Amino acid sequence: MDQPTPAVEIRDLVKDFKTSFRRQMLRAVDGVSIRILPGEVYGLIGPNGSGKSTIMKALLGLVAPTSGTCAIFGQDSLKVDSRNDVGFLPENPYFYKHLSGEETLEFYGKLCGLKGKALRERVAELLKLVDLESAGKRRIGGYSKGMLQRIGLAQALIQEPRLVILDEPTAGVDPIGSRQIRDLILKLRERGITVFLCSHLLEQVQEVCDQVGIIFRGKIVKEGRLEDLIAIEDQTEIILRNASPELLSEITGLIGRFPATELVRTGKPRTTLERLFLRETLGKNP
Amino acid sequence: MTAQPAPLRGSHFSRILVIALHAFTQLARMKVFYFLAVFAVIMLVSNFFNLPQHEGPESIGVNVLRSIKSSSLGTMHLFSVVLSVVATALLLPKDIEDRTLYTILAKPVPRIDYLAGKLLGVLLLIFVSLALMDLLMTAVLHVRTGIVIDQQVAYAKQQGWPEDSIALLRTEALNHGANWSLQGAVFAVFLRSIIIASLALLISTFSTSTLFTTIISFLIYFIGHFQADALDAFLRGGTAVETILTGLVSLVLPNFQIFNVIDAVIEGQAFPLAALGKLTGLGLFYAVFYTVSSWFIFSEKEF
Repeated sequence: MDQPTPAVEIRDLVKDFKTSFRRQMLRAVDGVSIRILPGEVYGLIGPNGSGKSTIMKALLGLVAPTSGTCAIFGQDSLKVDSRNDVGFLPENPYFYKHLSGEETLEFYGKLCGLKGKALRERVAELLKLVDLESAGKRRIGGYSKGMLQRIGLAQALIQEPRLVILDEPTAGVDPIGSRQIRDLILKLRERGITVFLCSHLLEQVQEVCDQVGIIFRGKIVKEGRLEDLIAIEDQTEIILRNASPELLSEITGLIGRFPATELVRTGKPRTTLERLFLRETLGKNP
Repeated sequence: MTAQPAPLRGSHFSRILVIALHAFTQLARMKVFYFLAVFAVIMLVSNFFNLPQHEGPESIGVNVLRSIKSSSLGTMHLFSVVLSVVATALLLPKDIEDRTLYTILAKPVPRIDYLAGKLLGVLLLIFVSLALMDLLMTAVLHVRTGIVIDQQVAYAKQQGWPEDSIALLRTEALNHGANWSLQGAVFAVFLRSIIIASLALLISTFSTSTLFTTIISFLIYFIGHFQADALDAFLRGGTAVETILTGLVSLVLPNFQIFNVIDAVIEGQAFPLAALGKLTGLGLFYAVFYTVSSWFIFSEKEF
């Protein structure tokens, strides 16, 4: 069977920037290749300045590769046509403050050729999706950071793209806003939309991504399926509910009968600080 | 394998119009139109301002009309030049700084559409402002011309002037009133704005700040008034440096002195259609030249 056309195909991408001092070249991205299949959620993680944003900008044609190629659904990303199928949320976006949330979405929709009833319906649908129906008529200037990120995500989705690129989607957002964005990413995955996100919030990447790439100093140092990358192959986890001390003692005794097996740790699993915060503030288990 | 490119959604024209209307709204919501209130005050003041007279009583009315035209066209000139430079210089760097440019260029929007839309938005704002100012000026001049003619005819009759002299007096007053030459002068003000705005757009494509763009644009506008002198110097020849400098100035910059025709209209002279046609051609040529140059620079720009 033929393989589907990758949503993203980056081949041997190199990007050099001129530094202001003596016009020396700085290599921001060094021979990166990434392939993302339709419907996957790919997380690119790495420290600040490792080249994540540059890769995304190259994929959107905002910077030209020094060498190598980038393609979106098989189309060269330097060509404007490739942007028909992509939505982008930049890091810390600021939209036009004089527009309301609704007007913002209408503006981006019109840029993509939407108009009339179709545009109005799409705007209403997206405001509902990102939970900003009540704030749709308010000026963007009065939006909180989390609301800005959500309206940003809505504008990225306005023309129903098959690929969404998110650059640090939860940067500076509080845990509740961060959780809402995570849930939105999961909704996109359910709808079969490919998501390419970069972040340095590792826990969040772990929650939503199928594939992960680790970038350091412009090079991909590790890449693969998340489950494969984080599994500890020689260990097994059993989590019990309402286990009595007698049962635990019996299990420990049973393990002792197998010399090759070592009991590494027993104890109570812990929730995360984020889950605790959300439970205490929202009153529910996320 | 490379997939067939999907056609762009929407036409160039519709995208340019969306960006232009947005830029217009953006500037309008910055309360730019408050300037019109200032203009209305200037009109009122100039209408009642009494100039010192050194001529006969038959010239008093005409001088008032000249004063109204002079202050109105002067204010239009100032407003249009300042807005052309500042608004154009503001829009592009602000979009880059706020990263809104990323979200726009990440949509299927060719860079030329973005540039043309921004320029058109600024020009639309200037056009609407000039049209409103023109309307006010024309209305005031129309009323005032009628009063002046009545007063002058009454004065001439009292003095026992012959009919043909009275008719001449009326014609002279009408020449200073709201006529087609005056509308041509307002259009010339707009044409000058087109050139300046497209020049500011070109500078803002490689400039790093609004301040830099504003200063350089005003400087070039100032130098443009010496383009004719530069051309003369270039044709006369000189040292290699002089030839290169004068050649560059006379080639790249428009001759802003040709807009002095506006002053002639203030003095009551007619604005020939041929001169207006020449001015329009020149304005459009430089607007297209600067916009295409902006596109060449902007299409290679990285963000």
